[in-house]
Formats: sequence, structure tokens, C-alpha cells
Amino acid sequence: MREPPIGADTGATGASGATGATDGTDATGATGATVAGTTPVAPSASATPPVVKFDRVAKTYEGGNTAIRDVTFQVDDRPGQMEIVSILGPSGCGKSTVLRLIAGLSPQHPPTSGTVEVMGAPVSAPGADRGFVFQDYTSFDNRTVEDNIAFGLECQGMPQHQRRELTREWIKKVGLDVDRDAGKYPHELSGGMRQRVALARTLILKPRVILMDEPFGALDPKTRYAMQDQLVALAHEVQATVFLVTHSIEEAVYVGDRLFIFSNAPGTILRQMSTPHPERPARVMQREPSFLDIVFEVRDIVEGLEMSIKAGS
Amino acid sequence: MASRSLFALRVIPPLAVRQVAGALSIAVILLIWWWLTSGATPEARVISPSVFPSPTEVIAGFPGLVSERNLIGGIAASLNRVFLGFGLALLIGVPLGIVAGSYRIVGAAAQPISLFGRTIPVAALLPLSLQMFGIGELQKVMFIFMATAPFVFHDTARAIAGVHDRYVDTAQTLGAKPRQVMSKVLIALALPDIYACVRTMFGIAFGYIMLAEVVDAKAGLGFIMLQSQRRGMPEHLVGTLFVISALAFGIDALFKFFQRGLFPYRDDHA
Repeated sequence: MREPPIGADTGATGASGATGATDGTDATGATGATVAGTTPVAPSASATPPVVKFDRVAKTYEGGNTAIRDVTFQVDDRPGQMEIVSILGPSGCGKSTVLRLIAGLSPQHPPTSGTVEVMGAPVSAPGADRGFVFQDYTSFDNRTVEDNIAFGLECQGMPQHQRRELTREWIKKVGLDVDRDAGKYPHELSGGMRQRVALARTLILKPRVILMDEPFGALDPKTRYAMQDQLVALAHEVQATVFLVTHSIEEAVYVGDRLFIFSNAPGTILRQMSTPHPERPARVMQREPSFLDIVFEVRDIVEGLEMSIKAGS
Repeated sequence: MASRSLFALRVIPPLAVRQVAGALSIAVILLIWWWLTSGATPEARVISPSVFPSPTEVIAGFPGLVSERNLIGGIAASLNRVFLGFGLALLIGVPLGIVAGSYRIVGAAAQPISLFGRTIPVAALLPLSLQMFGIGELQKVMFIFMATAPFVFHDTARAIAGVHDRYVDTAQTLGAKPRQVMSKVLIALALPDIYACVRTMFGIAFGYIMLAEVVDAKAGLGFIMLQSQRRGMPEHLVGTLFVISALAFGIDALFKFFQRGLFPYRDDHA
């Protein structure tokens, strides 16, 4: 309850909405010239371009199925204050579409209309600056824990001895044991361990944006708490902006600094609100009455939205 | 209770029980074989020795099979043809399959040819191979090639295409370039399936070679069997059949052994 919900419907404040409109035209003009994320399109307001900016983005598939429509938001680049954005919403509301558009993964990319910009440049293709952690376990079966985590570095052509050192550092950072786990293959790991590997594999590349699609959805509650804490700590360490799609309201409120609530298909942002910063460990903070008040408030909003959608349709 | 539950649907009995069941079926077959071919004189036997030999005759004929019929040389000749023909099929089928599985447009273009090659009965390729490559060694090698290459190509393409998109997505967001996605993800993850296909196809190719060798050959296991039949030595024919079966089993065991070593991360080795 400390921070009341802000904004409504198509997101953000009036000011950023306005800059969004002008930027939109700029960006469309520059699309041809700007390739992968090096030439920033000069924004009209702030010194550095926003980390991620959606301007009236819609995606309709070939079959005529519209995944999202009119999605507009902006996450500013504020060094030292990296934001974690939680995305809540019913199944099939296009939450994953938003993540995949930021990542530049087809068939969601490119959008049917509107612009998606990362660090001021339109997204053109996937890249290591936007890491992705999926819900399904995507460890490469043929690689050990160590080689899985080193995958991105290997693609960059980093020499093996350097790779090894850095990889071992990250094995420790995500709470795995170098001696015990480094040589294990994915089929020997538990779900929690696999997601730790996925997290390390992404974070080791120091991405500017981390996209997570229900990464802890299949984990037991205890592991889930531990992973939430780990995520918050490590995201701040590498100074990455995180987009976390989740079904758990507790997780969304705890991990996120900001919360997007999506409506049903075609998805759009119905509500944006700030949530308290995760200051204490997950299993402690998520039991506090003040935290639960916010969770119930969000739950009421989500249920209210679902009711109104049902009534409206 | 215990004895009844052995016959329940899909119940897997203990290993010892399974082994006993296997041994029992061999014993029953041997017994029937022995009974059908026993008798002091050929006239007293249910099945005449000129039609089918008795177990003891097959065992007794074995030294002759090795010395007179050059069994070892026959094995070498047959295996050599399979290695060459199937090796050529791998050399061409695997790389093409990788390309077809990675680039769907190539896969679509190759589809009709692959389908044609896979639907032609293998026996029908025999006259064609004779027409095209004569009756020498080349024909036998090329027959194996023609019979297996379309399957090697198809299975490889399918294994590559079967790698889940999620892995490709993951690799791309970790900065992998298309070429790296192909080598580090598609090929790497499809390799166990490609190997499994090679293992199966080698077994099949080893079976096919007999077909080419009974038509016209100077050596080989098929040649030995044909000669035994013509010369009225059924004990050599049946003996060779057992040798072929043992050889096929041994080769497959070898493949399996390497499979375990090559892909320790796959626990579905059959």
C-alpha cells in the first residue's frame, strides 16, 4: 500500500506517452539505417535512450489471430537503479509475445505495427544483449553444466582458459558446486539446478535485458523462493533490466519493481503499478502483512479485470 | 498370486524370469527341430535330410564350412561391400540431410526424390543396379548405396528438424550466429538420433547384401548360401544363417557399445 497504482490502460505517464509518439516517427525513419543496436536514435527528452520502449505495438499472425494490440510502455535507463518488471495476466494474453518481441525471436518478431526499441534502436534480430530464460528446461543435453554456461562465451570466440575461469565463477554465483556439478549433464540435474544453469548461462554474458518466461513455474515453493532471491541479487549485480512473466502474483509483486497487468487476447497492458523493492529474503518478506496486502490488492485488480472482460465479451 | 501376475497386461517380470522364458523358447524350438530331423535312416525322419539338416549335422558341417567354403573370406567380402556402399550412403546422405533439416526450403525440394527412393522395394533396385553397374563388385556396392542412401538422408533430415525450436531460440539469445546454431545446436543435439539411424540402417544394409550376392557373386555370405543350396549341402546353408545372425548381433552390440561412450548424456540406449 506504500505506493499506489499509477497510470491506467495504455501505460506510462502523459509525458512519456508524448515522447513515445514523436520517437515513433523518428524510429520508423531510421529503421533502414540502424542495424543491431549500436546507433542510438536521439530521444527528445532524456540523455540516454530508454532500455526498452514499445510504441503502439500490435502483432497479428498470418491466420488472423491477434496476440497483442496497442502495447505502449517505456522502461528508462537509470544506472544503479535497474528495474525488474513483472508481467501478470491470464494465459494466452500475449505476455510471452512481448518478451519474444524484445528478444527479436520469430514468428513474433517483427511486430505487425508499432515499434519495439531496445537502447534506442529498433530490434532487428536476437542477440546476447537480450538474454532469455524459458520455463522449459533448455539446457543443451550434450553439454555438461560447465559447457552449457560457457555456450555464449564460446560463440563469442573467447579462449578456453578464460572461458573456464569465468564459467566456474558463475557456477558458484548461482549456487552450484564447481567440484560436484561442473561435469554433470543436464539429465543428472533437478529442475531447480537446470534453471540455475540457465540463469548463469544468460547472466555470464552481462546482458542489458533479461527476459524470463515463467522461469520458476515448475519449481517447488522452497526452491522457488531461493531462485527469486538469487535472481534479484544477480540482476542487480550485472545491472540488467529484467522482464519477468509469471503466473504467481506473490512472485510478481516480490521480484518486480514495476508490475504490468495484461488483459486477455488480444493482450494489452490494462494496468501498470509500482511494487515495493525486494529488500528482505523472499520467504520472509512474502509472509509480511504489508506485502500480503499488496498481493490481495493486485489479486482484486486481476480478478476485477477478468470479471469485466467476461461481462464485456 | 505371483505366478498369475506374470501374465497380467504389460507387467515386466524380473530379469531372471525373462531370461528363463527366452531360454525356454530356444529349448522348445531346438526340441521340435531335433524331433523333426531325428531318425536312424533318412526315411525314418519326418523331414528328409535333403530338405533340412538336423542340429548335429549343422554342427558337424561347421569345420567344412570354414575350411572348404571359406567362411571367413565370405564374411570379409560381404562386410567389405556393406562398408563401402553404406559408407558412401553416409558420406552423401548425412551432409545432405543436415542441410535439408536446417533449411526447410532444401528439405521441401528434396522431399519427392527422398520419397521415391524410400518407397521403391529394395528388390526392385536389383535389376536397375545390374543394368547400371554390371555384375561386378561395383554393382554390389552401388546396390547397398542405392538401397540405404534415401533412408540415411531422410532420417538425418528428420533428426535435425526434430530439434526443438526452444534450443534454437535459446542459442540465438546467447548470441549464436546461424552457422553456430547449426553446428553447436542442431547437429550436436541431433547426433544421437543420427547415430541411432546409422546403427539400424547398417543392420539392414548387412541384410540387403545377401540379396545382391545370391544373384551373382564370386564370394560373400550370400554366395556361400547359394552354393550350399546348389550343391545339396543344407547343413552349410543353415550354418551360414546362424553365422549371419550372430554377426548381425555382434555388429549391433558394437554400435551400442560406442553409442554409450559417445553419448553418455542419453540414457535411452536400447
